[in-house]
Amino acid sequence: MATELPITNKIRELRFFADEMTQQELAELVGVTRQTIMSIEKSKYSPTLELAFKIAEVFGQSLEEVFQYKGRV
Amino acid sequence: MDMSLKEKSTWLSLLSTVSVFGYYFYNIIGLAELPENESLDIALALSIKTITAVVMIEILFQSLLAISNHREATLGNDERDKLFNYRSTSIAYSVLVCGVFLTLGRIVILEYNPSFEEGQSSWRIPLLTAHILLLSFILAEVSRFAALIFFYRRAY
Repeated sequence: MATELPITNKIRELRFFADEMTQQELAELVGVTRQTIMSIEKSKYSPTLELAFKIAEVFGQSLEEVFQYKGRV
Repeated sequence: MDMSLKEKSTWLSLLSTVSVFGYYFYNIIGLAELPENESLDIALALSIKTITAVVMIEILFQSLLAISNHREATLGNDERDKLFNYRSTSIAYSVLVCGVFLTLGRIVILEYNPSFEEGQSSWRIPLLTAHILLLSFILAEVSRFAALIFFYRRAY
């Protein structure tokens, strides 16, 4: 059973609005594998802060617009 | 099956380690029945052949894998690979420590009771202490590969 992570994201949606950018293209832009992007998109893996910033920068968005924290402090 | 280069490489290492060292230990156990001087020579020759085989298999197939996935091969380990490596190495370390303690226990027992092994054919395996340590190392490696594959399949 997959663990439910408290961090969700809008990467799939943002890729769609970025001319249907592929996972591979995004992976190459931020320097990770396509499988890592896939895991992040499915909220199975939480990226490091550095990678999260890189992804947000690719889409020209702020971190909060790409990633949302659903947990409690 | 959708696999990254690192996962394919781990599968290759797991299969080559299990098959080559499985064959090696199967043959080593068989040497217990032979006279000590004869079995020692065979064990040394077999260990050289085994190490050569593993090195050759790894170099050949890992190179082929890297050539066929050139773009990913130049990327190196990303942060998820590093996390999986860290977790699986921690598991492998526990296995290795168990093997080291087992070997230490054997050395201590033999120090206080040298007749401990007498009359048991299984103790006549050549270079037994070295083989227990080698087996611990191989089991640690196998558990590391297996854990890595598990994490890659689970994706987190």
